Amino acid sequence: MSDLLANLALGFGVAAQPYNILFCLLGALVGTLVGVLPGIGTVATIAMLLPITFGLPPVGALIMLAGIYYGAQYGGSTTSILVNIPGEATSVVTALDGHQMARQGRAGAALSIAAIGSFFAGCVATVLVAALGAPLTGLALLFGPAEYFSLMVLGLIFAVVLAKGSVLKAVAVIVLGLLLSMVGSDLETGAGRMTFDLAELADGIGFANIAMGVFGFAEIIRNLELPEESRDVLHAKVSGLMPTRKDLIDSSGAIARGTIVGSLLGILPGGGAVIASFAAYTFEKKMSKTPQRFGNGAIEGVAAPESANNAAAQTSFIPLLTLGIPPNAVMALMVGAMTIHGIVPGPQVMTKQPELFWGMIASMWLGNLMLVIINLPLVGVWVTLLRVPYRLLYPSIIVFCCIGVYSINNSPFDVTIAAIFGVIGYWLLKHDFEPAPMLLGFVLGPLMEENLRRAMLIARGDWTVFFTRPISGVLLGIAIFLLIVAAMPKMRRRRDEVFVE
Amino acid sequence: MSESVSPSPKGRGFSFSIRSPRDFWGGLVLVAVAILAIWASRDLPGQRGFAFGPGTAPRLFAGLLVVLGTLVALVGLVTDGPRIEKYKIRGPVLVIAAILGFAAMIRPVGLVIASYVTFMVAILGSREMRVLESIIAAAVMTAFCVFLFTYLLNLPFQLWPRF
Repeated sequence: MSDLLANLALGFGVAAQPYNILFCLLGALVGTLVGVLPGIGTVATIAMLLPITFGLPPVGALIMLAGIYYGAQYGGSTTSILVNIPGEATSVVTALDGHQMARQGRAGAALSIAAIGSFFAGCVATVLVAALGAPLTGLALLFGPAEYFSLMVLGLIFAVVLAKGSVLKAVAVIVLGLLLSMVGSDLETGAGRMTFDLAELADGIGFANIAMGVFGFAEIIRNLELPEESRDVLHAKVSGLMPTRKDLIDSSGAIARGTIVGSLLGILPGGGAVIASFAAYTFEKKMSKTPQRFGNGAIEGVAAPESANNAAAQTSFIPLLTLGIPPNAVMALMVGAMTIHGIVPGPQVMTKQPELFWGMIASMWLGNLMLVIINLPLVGVWVTLLRVPYRLLYPSIIVFCCIGVYSINNSPFDVTIAAIFGVIGYWLLKHDFEPAPMLLGFVLGPLMEENLRRAMLIARGDWTVFFTRPISGVLLGIAIFLLIVAAMPKMRRRRDEVFVE
Repeated sequence: MSESVSPSPKGRGFSFSIRSPRDFWGGLVLVAVAILAIWASRDLPGQRGFAFGPGTAPRLFAGLLVVLGTLVALVGLVTDGPRIEKYKIRGPVLVIAAILGFAAMIRPVGLVIASYVTFMVAILGSREMRVLESIIAAAVMTAFCVFLFTYLLNLPFQLWPRF
């Protein structure tokens, strides 16, 4: 316990340095700014803003990224409450009751409850991350290459099973991502692989280029095709920001339950945050004495999913920081950013760079605080932003992304790669392939290959090692079980229902 | 390519039509990509003894992708699914042209002109473009980017063409 406090104190010491507070504030601000733009989800926001953090020192960069993450998420909620355009899956549920509340003139209450719920969930989850971080790092010591490989397989399968759409197609896209990650020099021999004799490809395909292409450019091309729907933007002034005492009492239970549900589901590898918000909403509806209010502007219907999704967002740092395995696309982006700063995510971060590890955990809490502080007064600004027509918005985003990609390595070739991945992403969307698993596969690829090679070498070429080593065998067993369950027709229907609701 | 595919007749009777063209063609393209990867890694040495060579993993995963792509295509053949949405020309072509244009311009003409032209080309991708508004917006955005990237973030960009 005293360890925990000492560690947190160290973390806050780092995070509370004026520069780092500034980075956190700046991150939360730009994160919200971009996240609030309709049609741009959390992943796209982070992908777009990655380059601006590259010039900072590692601790500052990661703190700023964490700020961007929370900002983007909160921005997404704002869009779904005010305009009923959920920027991404996690805020779909928020839109159900949140937008109804907005139509009844209670947008202010919905927004502030979302912020308060998120903040509360953030506080709890921060302590949880700090408390669980150390013991889980110990667990990592039991892991050899075979276990790591199996754990990554399990993580990928989790991501597939919990995502929407066809399981088979998602697995195929993951393998495509793994294959893409192998372009470039071989880790051990340095031989150029699948580079088509292009010198620029010798270092592999840049992670930021893929992310920007698939999530930024492809989304824009896609959005251009959609008919300009008469956006339901609120023209009424958002007034009465503070929730009433009754609102607070009504939602307190929902916030607490949402936090618990979210914290638990966030730790699981896979799309924790999405499932968390769905689960919390459904749970709240079941618990309620007046379930008919849900969908018609029930404040619990905003409080529960928002708390859950923020708690899950936070606890999903646990697998990343302790085992070095990103559980979802956002965390995959974080890994990308860490690698660019020369940090290999994993258990060694905690022991070798404690100020980074604990500083980041403390900054999560700070980031949440920033959201409450900056967003409540700035709601008016975000509403104005929502009125910028898309025809002006998207060229600005393209210019911004181009400069961002170019600035990473000062390489025009990177911009070209991003354009190519824009086309690939557009094609994937046209054929109902989810792009997020591809990115996850791409990020995990080098780690998986390295551990696979080592495990095979240690086992003297014996493939059965993955099943005969107990931990590895159990992990793979769970993965296979999940795949079978998800592929069964009955479960498939239920999954579809969950995502339709 | 997709035009020749007839819409799926609700699964009635026995027919050879492709019932889910999105999955079918999607799967086939994945197979093609995998074969390209196998071809591209043909010269890489493979497994030696117990040790993987540089070519082992690419061929392993490309092989897996061939299997998975085939499965996706087969599933597309036998289960009903939506048709492929028509590919639009204007938006994608102009957006991609704008990005490629940026890549080509940034070195020779510098940030200011590259940003401005990229914005103007990209905005043509939308049908709702208005001339005067676009010219002003492009200038504002260019100024904002120059301010953000060169002054605020202090990145070493060349602003104007070098003669």
